[in-house]
Amino acid sequence: MPKPLLLSLLLALPLVGYAQVDTVRASTLPGPQLAEKAYNSGLASFNAQSYSAALRSFDQAIAAKADFAAAYANRAATRYELKEYSQALADYDQALKLEPGNYAGYFGRARVREAQNQPAEADQDYSEAVKAKPDYAPAWYNRGVLRFEKGDYQAARDDFDGAIKADPKMAYAYHDRGSANQKLSNYAAATQDYSQALTLQPDLLAALLNRATSERRTGQLPQALRDYDAYIAKKADNALAFSNRGSARFENKDYAGAIADFSQAIKLDAAYAYAWNNRAAAQLKLEKYAPAAADASQAIKLKPDYAEAYLNRGHAREMLRQADEACQDWRKAAELGIAAGDNYAAAAGCAGEAQ
Amino acid sequence: MPILFRLFLLLLLAPTFQAAAQSVAFSKDQFSENKEGLREAMREMKEGDTEYSADPARYAQALPHYLAAQEFNPNNAGLNVKIGDCYLHSTTKTAALPYLQKAAKLDATADARTHFLLARALHLSAKWREAIAEYQLAPPVGGNTRNGSADALTANDLQRYIQQCRNGQLLMARPVRVFVDNAGPELNSADSDYGPVVSADESTIVITSRRAGSIGGKKDPEGNGYFEDIYQATWTGKAWSRAANLGAPVNTDEHNATVGLAPDGQRMLVYSNANGGDILEANLGGSAWGKPKQLGSRINTRSHETSASYSPDGRYLYFVSDREEGSLGRSDIYKVELESRTPPVNLGSTINTAYGEEGVFMQPDGKTMFFSSEGHNTMGGYDIFKSVFENGKWSKPENLGWPINTPDDDVFFVTSASGRHGYYSSDRPGGLGAKDIYRITFLGPEKQPLLSEEDQLLASRLAPMKQTVLAPAVEVATAQVTILKGTVTDDATKQPVEAAIDLIDNTSGQTIATFRSNSTSGRYLVSLPSGTNYGIVVRQEGYLFHSENFDLPAGAAYAEVVKDIPLKRLEMGVTIVLKNIFFDTGKASLRPESTAELERLQKLLTETPALKLEMAGHTDDVGEAAKNQDLSQRRAQAVVAYLTQHGIAAARLTAAGYGETRPVAPNTNKANRQLNRRTEFKVTGK
Repeated sequence: MPKPLLLSLLLALPLVGYAQVDTVRASTLPGPQLAEKAYNSGLASFNAQSYSAALRSFDQAIAAKADFAAAYANRAATRYELKEYSQALADYDQALKLEPGNYAGYFGRARVREAQNQPAEADQDYSEAVKAKPDYAPAWYNRGVLRFEKGDYQAARDDFDGAIKADPKMAYAYHDRGSANQKLSNYAAATQDYSQALTLQPDLLAALLNRATSERRTGQLPQALRDYDAYIAKKADNALAFSNRGSARFENKDYAGAIADFSQAIKLDAAYAYAWNNRAAAQLKLEKYAPAAADASQAIKLKPDYAEAYLNRGHAREMLRQADEACQDWRKAAELGIAAGDNYAAAAGCAGEAQ
Repeated sequence: MPILFRLFLLLLLAPTFQAAAQSVAFSKDQFSENKEGLREAMREMKEGDTEYSADPARYAQALPHYLAAQEFNPNNAGLNVKIGDCYLHSTTKTAALPYLQKAAKLDATADARTHFLLARALHLSAKWREAIAEYQLAPPVGGNTRNGSADALTANDLQRYIQQCRNGQLLMARPVRVFVDNAGPELNSADSDYGPVVSADESTIVITSRRAGSIGGKKDPEGNGYFEDIYQATWTGKAWSRAANLGAPVNTDEHNATVGLAPDGQRMLVYSNANGGDILEANLGGSAWGKPKQLGSRINTRSHETSASYSPDGRYLYFVSDREEGSLGRSDIYKVELESRTPPVNLGSTINTAYGEEGVFMQPDGKTMFFSSEGHNTMGGYDIFKSVFENGKWSKPENLGWPINTPDDDVFFVTSASGRHGYYSSDRPGGLGAKDIYRITFLGPEKQPLLSEEDQLLASRLAPMKQTVLAPAVEVATAQVTILKGTVTDDATKQPVEAAIDLIDNTSGQTIATFRSNSTSGRYLVSLPSGTNYGIVVRQEGYLFHSENFDLPAGAAYAEVVKDIPLKRLEMGVTIVLKNIFFDTGKASLRPESTAELERLQKLLTETPALKLEMAGHTDDVGEAAKNQDLSQRRAQAVVAYLTQHGIAAARLTAAGYGETRPVAPNTNKANRQLNRRTEFKVTGK
């Protein structure tokens, strides 16, 4: 099962839990209890992942009892699974209207809003959920993820802290706090967080890759290489992992080893522009200028706005005595955002001026 | 090699021919079946020995005889040593190595001095480690024998050679990034070509060549081509034109060699072997070089003056001399102010060593000097060094490194003003014959490639986020000089004009230098080292002066500016922009840097009593039009006030403020707005 789906289900569990907690036992209630029966039936269908059946049942429950807040909430959860986000949103709105301050309603609606690509609104709802239930780790975690993606790494780290406080066993929260620390240049803390995530969940392999990055930033190249090796030993089909290990080998001045890794990344994913560019860089170091130019050209073909690849090809072409072409490449790199391109062009006496 | 050592070598090697087990002697026993061939080989040997043992030795003449004998008997140790020795004294020194290696292999008990020759060949072939081992097997000789003659090889000499090898090891381990390109058949010939000098913008190159076709047609008795002549070529945009002999009067039937070229290509320094070696100066009049003239006794003495270079303003000359007075070594670099009477000054011990210095070249930035030296950390012979004059002193000379420098002599190195290209001569494999001229392209520090990486930072997303790892930016060293060049013409006829070009330091008001545009082409070139606010005034009798301003802050990077200058005759209605008049921002107060220009204007009015001028102020369109109008009027009046205060009758001057109404360029960018903010005068009476 892909990890995003697994996590979605994990995160959805509290909602289902909410529905289960509010399951009504018919034997203790008077009257025909049509709404309650239908509701329970819907819940069973939901748990069996029969979402269409669940939807019908919750419809019946709501038809029988128009102020049935729990039925609205669970129908919203069902509609979320069916990707009917507008209707899901309307149901959560109704549920919260009927039962204001319910953290699960806010949490569910936040997820819908995330699905609808409304991160600000989602953030707001997660905040309400956190306010309503401060020990509910997923709300902290999900808001942390949103804030991380927004680039607000300090706030994200605070949220992951909140998630860990609410659930000290949440490996994902450690992992992502590690990432927030990495972004905040707290590499030692990041390494520690990734290590804790791995202790809690040894199959969280991404933590190996990310720990390697942090280790490289603190000059622990041998440890980083060991982490890449450990990752690749368990998962040999990830082009990104080979490419990153190649970069670490490059950093270690093992250019031949780097080329082997970049080649493997290309073998796994021939459309992986970074691997082509990086192999060009390693070829440059080994003074293999023609293959370097060819690799950089392939990177540019895959990613026409790839500034780094233009710059690297410029370097290769200079050494291949293709002065005019090198000038064009450096100028293009500058145009795409690498200002050094213009410096190189000026130093080499390229005609024309910086744009 | 002096005669005593060669005789010594002949004597020492004789018995080893017999003793060495593998060395094959020239004897009837060895060649009983080819007595005729043996006789012929012995004859060649004898003829070779006659040349080899002459004083001075004639290595070039000995070599073909030895090679002929070697063809008959390749395995004679002594003969191989002699061939190696001859090659070590030729222009292809590295050819000695296989012969000397063979000699050592054929004769395990080889004479210790043979180790020295082998060490030299290994050294010159940049085989540093092996050379050091051989030098260590060569004991000092001559210092305590041979009555102190010049063939002495002291322990100090050997230590110095070993140190040079160690320098070579270090320098070769971190080669400089350059392209070294043969300048091609347009400049090079089958004979020796060397001594390149280039104009600042690399449009002209002048070289020395020993090729066929020299004036007088005399040949070098040592077999090194013809007598030297000077040749010139121009850059056509993609390649050099074919080098042409400069002819008389620069070239004569004696040796004529290049020494230096002024940055504007209008003056040339040439070498004459008269008077023990002197430096002469030739001027370019139109398209023809004049007869070289002596530079005077302060520069040329009875000693040997070989190399020289102008400072970019032409005021000073850096030159090499082996004079005894004030010397720190065999030959030193001196500096002299050409228009003064002060004696030359030795550049001091930072530059000059106890050994020889040669081939001085001052870059057009006015502070970077290249020179060759046998001292400092040379890897052998002369190496080329760079030193920068900053804060009143020369920096520690820096070896230009491998592969520019080699174990042999590397001398006469010049660069373009941009510092991107250097030219020198070298005898390296793949050339067109003997020494050739090579162009070096400096590539700067290694250009770091950039890698891209991404991480899967969010466990719940596993969505890659781009993360690029950036290498630190490289420092790009660019020369800090601006080359201003162009053509001076008559504005009306468009014909070239020979005019004087004054270079003025606006801050001090002093004229730094005066150049002249070429009388035939009107072309001029001026080097402007960064760090000065320059006023440029172009003047010629019968014309109104033309002024330009270049305010180049310290550190301003290399630039080439082409500025054609149309000179206007003094006629009614003619307008001249005064580019060196400066006001305080938003005010009408004249800045002190304007003084030189104002004095020029005053002089013009004084020398031309009938001249009447309207001083006009103009602004750009920034701000309110009325304020601009007022400011321009006040600025024009400020100039008029200066002139009347300095003796010009007020009746001859009027002031007009035009504000932003008469732009010379659309006010669409900074450069155009600058053009529009101007002070000019118009001739209203003459």
